[in-house]
Amino acid sequence: MLMPKSHRIALLFNANKIFDREVIAGVAAYLSGTRSSWDLFLEEDFRLRLPGIEDWQGDGVIADFDDPAVAAALARSRIPVVAVGGSYENVESYPSNVPYVATDNFKLVKLAYDHLIEGGLRHFALFSLPEAQENRWAQERENAFRSLMRRDRIDGEVFRGQGTSAPSWDEAVQQQIKWLHSLPKPVGIIAVTDARARQLMQACMIAGIEVPEQVALIGIDNDPLARMLTRIPLSSVIQGAQEMGRAAAHLLDRMLHGAQLSDTRILVPPAGINVLASSKHEAVKHPHVMRARHFIRQYACQGIKTGQVADYVGISRSSLESYFRQELGCSVHDEILRFRLDSATAILGRGDCNLADVALSCGFTSSQYMHSVFKREFGCTPRAYQERTLKGLPEPARNPHFQDAEPITDDD
Amino acid sequence: MTTETFDKQFTLRNARDMSVTISERGAALVSWWAPDRYGKVADVLLGYPDAIAYRHNSVYFGAVIGRWANRIAHGRFELDGKPMQAAVNDRGHHLHGGDDGFHRARWQATASKQAVSLRLASPDGDAGFPGNVDVQVQYRLDDEGALSIEYEAVCDAPTPINLSAHPYFNLNGGTADVGDHMIQIDADNYMETDQGGIPVGVADVAGTPFDFRQPAAIGPRLGWPDAQIRLAGGFDHCYCLGDAAMGRAGPLREVARVYDPGSGRTLQVSTTEAGLQFYTGNYLDGVQGRAVRPYARHDGFCLEAHAYPDQLNGEHAAAVILRPGQVYRQTTVYRLAVQGA
Repeated sequence: MLMPKSHRIALLFNANKIFDREVIAGVAAYLSGTRSSWDLFLEEDFRLRLPGIEDWQGDGVIADFDDPAVAAALARSRIPVVAVGGSYENVESYPSNVPYVATDNFKLVKLAYDHLIEGGLRHFALFSLPEAQENRWAQERENAFRSLMRRDRIDGEVFRGQGTSAPSWDEAVQQQIKWLHSLPKPVGIIAVTDARARQLMQACMIAGIEVPEQVALIGIDNDPLARMLTRIPLSSVIQGAQEMGRAAAHLLDRMLHGAQLSDTRILVPPAGINVLASSKHEAVKHPHVMRARHFIRQYACQGIKTGQVADYVGISRSSLESYFRQELGCSVHDEILRFRLDSATAILGRGDCNLADVALSCGFTSSQYMHSVFKREFGCTPRAYQERTLKGLPEPARNPHFQDAEPITDDD
Repeated sequence: MTTETFDKQFTLRNARDMSVTISERGAALVSWWAPDRYGKVADVLLGYPDAIAYRHNSVYFGAVIGRWANRIAHGRFELDGKPMQAAVNDRGHHLHGGDDGFHRARWQATASKQAVSLRLASPDGDAGFPGNVDVQVQYRLDDEGALSIEYEAVCDAPTPINLSAHPYFNLNGGTADVGDHMIQIDADNYMETDQGGIPVGVADVAGTPFDFRQPAAIGPRLGWPDAQIRLAGGFDHCYCLGDAAMGRAGPLREVARVYDPGSGRTLQVSTTEAGLQFYTGNYLDGVQGRAVRPYARHDGFCLEAHAYPDQLNGEHAAAVILRPGQVYRQTTVYRLAVQGA
C-alpha cells in the first residue's frame, strides 16, 4: 500500500489552558479520521516558546494568534500557517494574509447574557481582565457586552480588576468585594473566563453575598478545574474549541495540497452552555429563605441537618420551616434532599460508579436511604435511573407531589 | 369562503406543553410549538402564514413527499425492463413527486386525541408513475416529545415508491438562522452530487465538512473551502446511514441529533430508512413565511429520511419497487427535548 507523504507540523499553543488543549484535541480528532499523516511538534510541557521558530524546518504551522508576538514571529513564514484565536469586532484587527479560525467572542457573551435575561434578571455586569496585548479577546468580550447593553438600553458595568499575584491578592479580593457591593441587586454577572468567575465567586462567599439570589454568575470555557474549585457549581459557556481545531487542521491540510486560503476566515459559535446552580436565578424569595438555600446549596452534600440551616440563618427551626412552607411549599429537609438528589443524578448520568460512594458523596446517610428517596421521587432505583439516562432516554418524571408524599425519615 | 372548508388542520398536544398542527393539504406538518429550557414556547418549524398557501408549497414546507422523495436523473428509469418517464421539474430532473406531487394533494384525515391519520389515493399515471397506489400516513405525538410518522402504501401494479417528510426546523424559533445549531449525524459516507443534485458517487466523510460524526456547528462548516458545499450553496446531500443493508430499510434506530445552545432545544431523529438528506435551506431566500420578514438562506434545516436519491438508476433499484400484494412501510421519529433546564 502506498503510504501518504508525512508532513512535519508545529502546533504553537499554550496548552496549559483548557481552550488551547481543546483546539489541539480537535486537530487530533481531524487527523485520526483522515489519511493525512502529520508528525506533530509540540513543546514538552505543551507551552509556547518562540525563539528559533523561524529557522524550524517543517511543512506547516497551526498557531494561537491571540499573542501578537506569535503573529509577528510568523508574519514572514514561508511555510503554510493557519491562525487560531479570538474574533474581532473590527475586521482590520485580524492579521492579514493568513487563514484565521476564530472563537466568536460576541456570540459567547450573547449566549451568557441571554441566559441571564431568561432568569428574570434586569441588572448586568461583566468581570473582565486588565488590558493586555495577550488578552485582546477579553476586551473584545467587553465590546460585545457593551454593544448588547447599548442595544437593550441597559447600564451594564464592566470591571477589570487586577491581575492575580500573591502580594496583591488580598487587595484584589477587597476591590472585587467593593465592586460587588456597589452593584444594584440582583445582578447577573458574566466573567470573561471561568478562572475569573471562580475568583468572583470566592469574593461573594467571603462577603456573604448569595449566589445566585443576589449575584447570578456565569463564566466562559466550561473548565472542569474551575468547577471543582467552586463550592457552588459554576455555570459556563462552552467554546467550540474542538471544532476550531478540526477547521484549522482542515485548512492546513488543504494548503499542504496547494490550496490558497489566505482570505479564509471561519467564525465558530459556542458549542453549548452548561447551566448549573451559580446562574439559576429565580424570582426574589424571602431573605431568610434565600439565605437558607444559599447555605443548603453549599453544604447539602456534607450531611447537614435542618437545625444547622436554622442556626446559619439565625432564626428558630420552626419559623424557618414556616417560611419554607410559605415560599417554596416544602420543608427545609425536602430542599436539602432535592439538592442531594440533583448531585446524585449528575454523578449517575456520567456512567459507571459505586452506589455506596455516590450516596456518601451526596450526603445521604446510606445507599439504602438514597434508594428509597429515588423510589419515591422517580419511581425507580438509582441503577434504573442511570440506565435510562445513559441510554439517552428522558429523565423519569419526578413525583409532582413530592412535598405531600409520605415522608422518609433519616436521623434528621 | 374560508380555507377551513377546504383544508382542515388538526392539532395534537402532549404533557410537555407541545402542540403539533397537521394540515390535510400535503399531509403537512404546519407547526410544532415546544418549550425551550426556560419553559418558553415557540414554533420550531418554518411554514406559511395561512392554510391556503400550502396549496402551492413550492419549497415543500412540512409536506409528505411522494411517490418519489428526492431526485431521479432526467426522470428516467427502467421498470421490469421497460423504460419509464416521470415528471421533470428541477433542472431537468424529477424532484419530490413532481410539481403536483403528494405535497399538493388534499389528503383525507381522521384524528384521535393522540394521532392524525391521512389517506391518499394516487391514480395510475400520477406524475408518470404506473399503477394505483393507496397511501396512509399516521402522525402520533407522545408525552416524551416524540412525533412518529408511519407510512404505509399498497399498489395494484409495480411502481417505484419512496416517501419522506419535509419539515424545516429552526430550534431557536426563528430568532436567528440555524448556523449556530450543533448537528451530529451517524454516517461514515455521503453522496457527492453534480450541479443538478444527482449523486455521482459515495464519498468518505472523513476530512471533509460533511463529517458530523462528532457534533459540530452548521455555520462554520458552510465556510469550509469545499467544492461540494460550493456547488449546492450549502448542504443538500444524502448521508448513507449505517446498519441498513445498502439501499434497504432496516430497523428503527437513532441516526442524528441537533442541539441549539441558545434555547437548549434538542432534536433527535430516528428512522428505518437507508438515507438521510441534510438540507440547509439553500433556496429559502425571499420565501414569505410566518415571520415578518421573508425567510433567508439557512433560516431552517431539513433532515429527510428516505431511500438513496436516484436509487432507481443504481444497483439497489429493486429495493424501491413496490409490487401488488406487498406493503411499503417506513417509520421516522422526530423527538424534541431540552438540555440544561
